[in-house]
Amino acid sequence: MTKQEQVKAIFIEEAGEIIEKLDVDILRFEENSADFDLLNEIFRGVHTLKGNANAFGFTRLGEFVHHFEDVLDHYRSTKEDVEEHHLELFVGSVDIIKEVMICELDALPDLPADYAGCLEKIKHLIASKKNKPVEPSIEVNSQVFNDLATEFAFCDFQLDDTAIERSIEIHQAMRTEGLNLYQIELTLDVDCYKRGFDHLLFLKLLAENATALESFFELDNVPSLDTFTSDENAITRVSAILLSAQTPNDVAENFEYLSEHEYSIVLIDPIVVAVEKVKAVVVEKSPDIEAIKTSTANAPKSTIRIDTFKLDELFDSVGELVIAQNFIAQNEKIRAIEDESISRAIETLSKITKRIQDRVMSLRMVAIRDTFDKMKRVVRDTSKKTGKELHLNVQGEETEIDKTMIDSLSDPLIHIIRNAIDHGLEADAAERLSVGKKVEGMITLRAYHKSGSIVISVSDDGRGINKEKVLKKAIERGIIAGDEHLTDSQIFALIMQPGFSTADAISDLSGRGVGLDVVKTSIEKLRGKIEIESKEGVGTTFSMVLPLTLAIIDGMLVQAAGEIYIIPTLSVVESFRPEREIVHALKEKGEFVSLRGQHIPVIRLSDIFELPTKRIEPWEGILVCVETEAGRIAIMVDELVGRQQVVIKPLGKALAKLKEITGGAILGSGDIALILNVDELRPLIEAPHGGN
Amino acid sequence: MESNIVQSRKERYLTFFLGEEQYGISIDRIKEIIAMMKVTQVPKTPHYMRGVINLRGSIIPVVDTRLRFGMEPQEETMHTAIIIVEVEKVNIGFIVDRVEEVASIDTARLSEPPKFGSHIDTDFICAMAQIEENVVMILDVLKLFEADELVSLEQIQQIQMREGE
Repeated sequence: MTKQEQVKAIFIEEAGEIIEKLDVDILRFEENSADFDLLNEIFRGVHTLKGNANAFGFTRLGEFVHHFEDVLDHYRSTKEDVEEHHLELFVGSVDIIKEVMICELDALPDLPADYAGCLEKIKHLIASKKNKPVEPSIEVNSQVFNDLATEFAFCDFQLDDTAIERSIEIHQAMRTEGLNLYQIELTLDVDCYKRGFDHLLFLKLLAENATALESFFELDNVPSLDTFTSDENAITRVSAILLSAQTPNDVAENFEYLSEHEYSIVLIDPIVVAVEKVKAVVVEKSPDIEAIKTSTANAPKSTIRIDTFKLDELFDSVGELVIAQNFIAQNEKIRAIEDESISRAIETLSKITKRIQDRVMSLRMVAIRDTFDKMKRVVRDTSKKTGKELHLNVQGEETEIDKTMIDSLSDPLIHIIRNAIDHGLEADAAERLSVGKKVEGMITLRAYHKSGSIVISVSDDGRGINKEKVLKKAIERGIIAGDEHLTDSQIFALIMQPGFSTADAISDLSGRGVGLDVVKTSIEKLRGKIEIESKEGVGTTFSMVLPLTLAIIDGMLVQAAGEIYIIPTLSVVESFRPEREIVHALKEKGEFVSLRGQHIPVIRLSDIFELPTKRIEPWEGILVCVETEAGRIAIMVDELVGRQQVVIKPLGKALAKLKEITGGAILGSGDIALILNVDELRPLIEAPHGGN
Repeated sequence: MESNIVQSRKERYLTFFLGEEQYGISIDRIKEIIAMMKVTQVPKTPHYMRGVINLRGSIIPVVDTRLRFGMEPQEETMHTAIIIVEVEKVNIGFIVDRVEEVASIDTARLSEPPKFGSHIDTDFICAMAQIEENVVMILDVLKLFEADELVSLEQIQQIQMREGE
């Protein structure tokens, strides 16, 4: 790859990110068009995109983005409310940007169909806005500051703390309802002039919206004329007392392009600010002064990109570290030393190791927010397409989830959401009103932790699943025989069987019968499962129960035929030593246990794996009852060893074809235990239709 | 002159014994040699797949080379060793009776393996060499990996193309 190509690749990646963010932000803005911070955010994204696009000769993208930027800039600077139908244009514009980007990347000659139309509308909008007289912004009382030189003539401008205190007192007295008093400290770096900043620039900016402004300069370090260099800043500190109606965020905005250490803003009590504008500003409290270090939300996040491959390597090494540490902690010879200092050192080592493991693990975790944000778009589009009015309620966006899992999660989530809107919600407003519900449907997207797993659920307040209809359809399609006694959850699970679709009409969105079973398989690939709860007339909830991370599972260690195996705890229902009376055999071969009315086939690992072992009776061993795709089975083992979190390691390509085993894990002793894939463990004699 | 240099190029091989026979593997592919250690059996695998070992946190399958070549199994001794071979980031251990030495063999002195007809499998032997009075059979590790489908066919072809350049 040439340098040019590399740079281009970086641009494309960056542009992709910007566009993805735009997509999310524009929808958030659509919901709350009064949020000017967000509008600024969008503007900045578009602005960066414009620069980049033109730099790489993506002129068609550049052209479009340029005009879009103008529109945004207009609203941004005038703070005018964005009209409803213009919001629609904004959303459409982001769509066009997305499409144009694809055209540019593939060097397609044709532009998206709406390109010209949308561009025309944007131009029209700008033209109409430009002709309109711009509303005068808030009257500012700036004449006092017009001539800063005059102010410099005051003898009092030298910075000294008593002067500042006096100034604060004076301005406190001047304060009226709706005004805030700030103490602003500028400590610009030596090179600030070269970056295009000087103190007066900021004072002017502040003065624009100020009722009163007084500044104090610290000039102690200014050299005498013969050593003075005009391009270096020698003013170490400038303090300004500002009386203004602006919120701390607005004030901070003036200093947007400065480094964090170059300025501080302190809001002096009592604060009077519009409530909705204050976000994460109050940092520390002292009796009289409320200190506001500029809100961290605005400051650029300090992050670095790391190749996930490197992360995986780090992860592996930490895994080894944990094993080595366990080896030391459990080593008989070391334990036999019985020296307090050694055991303390081992204890410390284990704590540190644990901490490193947690940290490294957290590197792979990202908040699910981005995925949820994408879903907002899905909800919006689906709502438009189906013509169903609805409200999306999102909870637990902070919940962190393994990065590798996030990517595989989008598609299933999209499908479930579409399904919920298309099938879950009632067909139209009339139907909802007739059962006493609000016209607006409610879709709830939720992520939360539940006993060592992460649950992501999609709920609707629609009609719920009609069990009779599901059963009838399942029998029609030959999925079940019809004589089984199925629990509610088993009936709901039928809708995820391949070839099952209850949609009366095949719609564009879902209902092709290839959906939910695909969702089910992809979730199972992530070692998760789907649970469905539904109440007729009240609504349905699809919950995806996922492991915290793909690399670690909670496992039940069992012993069979001299080897230790691991059964994922997620699938374990219960384990018990059966009474002799409940064990039966079918044709002397298919053993099963009768448990609370269910007949569960017994599976001997020694049979399936053809292990040479002394055959014991089920009532001499332990049965571990697990939930599998094909229903419950009871795995017979010699004994239970324990339960622990294990790091899953692949067995290598040579053994990857082994369906019954998902991988291996290294135990504290350094031994390897194989992890069972319970779904592939089948009884020797299968019950018809997997019924149990 | 130039062709002479190419012909007298020396390659280094790790030699080991299986029973009375001496074999060699090009050291380029050898990652390390370790003493015999606990092997965890993996069910439902060919009989020569002895199982998996824990090599400092990585799980690596090991092949019993005697069984792989259709020889009689033998009790482990203090000389039994596992040679870890790496191809395309895939590691495999080969259990051998005894590791001998690293020998420099003049490529010019390598000869074609004899043909035995179909009843003796000589596929994995790519050449024969004479070291003092011993004959060393040079193993083609790629073919071993390929036969056991340890790496995919495309990967093998890629390696061969790269080496052919």
